[in-house]
Amino acid sequence: MTDVEKLLDARILIVDDSSLVRLYYRDALQKAGCEVEQAINGIEAMEKVLAQKFDLVIVDVNMPRMDGFSFLRALRRGAPDVATLPALVITTEADAQDIDDARAAGGNFYLIKPISQPDLLRHVAVLTGAPT
Amino acid sequence: MTRAQGHRPGGIHVSQEDVRRLCEFVYRRTGMWFADNKRYYVDRRLAERIAATGADSFLAYFSLLRSDANHEIQHLVNAFTVNETYFYREEHQLRCMTSDLLPSIVHGKKAGEPIRIWSIPCATGEEPYSIAIWLMENWSEVDRYNIEIVGSDIDTRALEAATIGIYGERALNRLPPSVIGRYFQPAGVDAYRIDPGLTNSIQFTRANLVDVEDMRRYRDFDIAFCRNVLIYFDDTSRRSAAESLYDCLCPGGYICLGHSETMSRISPLFRVCRFSDAIVYQRPEHADDGR
Amino acid sequence: MPFIKSKLTQEAAPQASGASQIAALSSPDVDTRWRAARALGGNQEAVAALATALAGERVPRVRQAIITALVRTGDDASVAALLPYLRSQDAGQRSAAIEALQELPEGILPFMTSLLSDSDSDVRLLAAELVRNFPAVHATRLLCGLLEQEQHANVCAAAVDVLAEIGTPEAFPALHACAERFAGTPFLSFAVSIAIARISDAKG
Repeated sequence: MTDVEKLLDARILIVDDSSLVRLYYRDALQKAGCEVEQAINGIEAMEKVLAQKFDLVIVDVNMPRMDGFSFLRALRRGAPDVATLPALVITTEADAQDIDDARAAGGNFYLIKPISQPDLLRHVAVLTGAPT
Repeated sequence: MTRAQGHRPGGIHVSQEDVRRLCEFVYRRTGMWFADNKRYYVDRRLAERIAATGADSFLAYFSLLRSDANHEIQHLVNAFTVNETYFYREEHQLRCMTSDLLPSIVHGKKAGEPIRIWSIPCATGEEPYSIAIWLMENWSEVDRYNIEIVGSDIDTRALEAATIGIYGERALNRLPPSVIGRYFQPAGVDAYRIDPGLTNSIQFTRANLVDVEDMRRYRDFDIAFCRNVLIYFDDTSRRSAAESLYDCLCPGGYICLGHSETMSRISPLFRVCRFSDAIVYQRPEHADDGR
Repeated sequence: MPFIKSKLTQEAAPQASGASQIAALSSPDVDTRWRAARALGGNQEAVAALATALAGERVPRVRQAIITALVRTGDDASVAALLPYLRSQDAGQRSAAIEALQELPEGILPFMTSLLSDSDSDVRLLAAELVRNFPAVHATRLLCGLLEQEQHANVCAAAVDVLAEIGTPEAFPALHACAERFAGTPFLSFAVSIAIARISDAKG
């Protein structure tokens, strides 16, 4: 663990329908000192975002029942404390359409999966404003 | 990765990885998550179910669970939830009803207009009676509108018990003594009868949530309490029931699920609403329909 | 007591015929289309009309109701009507399709082999997820077949995720080979190690 040890106190919501992806991200984020919650689709993500305070949401695009873009659009329409939540969007495609969609839906940054733990932590550090 | 020793309930070996696998399955299907510090809780219940099903290994049990043979998912979920019914169960939702839902609902209504509240399933009646009592005890506007409370269940024997209205002390445990005094009369050993006036005020009906035709009879509800039933349905039945509930509500009407339940495992039709006492779900108002 | 009872349990208006409900699927009124879709679940004659309606329907809840109707019918024609949405550019349509098809494991069985070898990697990825509800031995075989050919990391990840839940020891060679092939992709190494640990431990 290098220059991202100071991620303490960041509360992060991981939204992905793959349990192994959630486990992988959680593993890295908890070791870096973050508190982590999970959700498997956009509806659960919305419930958790409304019930608890987070510093960042990491959201996959492809999930059943409510995909990542739909969740982001609903998030940005919400009350101010929720609508401004930074969002790291994870897509499977590098194509321009997905990037445009991610921005249009209200994502702050996007990454293409599969992501490595160091890459994830670097981006989380930036998006939570942690000192690096 | 080291192979952790699992405990051996009646000789069946269950490893840490087995438990993780089970927890992920339960989480995906129900939304209930058991973190590592709650794993002992899972271990016990898993052991019970393995014994109850006669499975000779974790794998055999898990296979049975995945295929939902003999409604095993329901049995497992039951093992994890408190199934007892009593008055003022999940009181925070009743509080939410009077603090937030009703003020929102009456916003567009004039005095004397109807407010329709549905308890489905109502089982032996504790829930619709609790709604009625709570409103009389806690809502200053209870006389201002025509409030209609309907209690429905698929089980006619439960409905019969609801109309008889006799309950044991345990069911009344959460009620303040003054409330018991106002709405119940002792009726024998460990028995209290609810005020017949209340029984006569509530409409009890037989209804099947999964039957689309049946559900067509129910319209224009402002609030539906649909607690601890959808979690037991298979996915297709959940979809269908959720659509029926949507249809039975007014635009802007609310639905409350059980505390272990989440619409994320049921249907995308409803909006999630946060209030100080509860998270509830709302049928969108007309204008939101096309979003 | 301040509560009232109304005539709630009067019978609802008699249900319109299947044919008129099918016609109502193209009504300009949202609620009419919604009611029509809800009434046509389980009606095999309505599947073609439902499929057409789904293609043109923009209101989300009506889309949901149409999909539910198709799932409730669940025959080959219903599955065929839902499959094209796995290819949709719209994430919402894909997610609705996958959710529906997950409820029809027997219905999608005949399509699995071709879906798992589809030229579109997104389709293969979603197909891997559909295998989750299959019995363990068959699912393992299908996913190993996929893994042995698969070059796309995310498709492999989807297959490994399912194998971690339901895989049998037959999957070990394919899993090891996958980890080797993707040695430069840390997530896949991680995923494969979890899958192997879960499958190994379950032998006990």
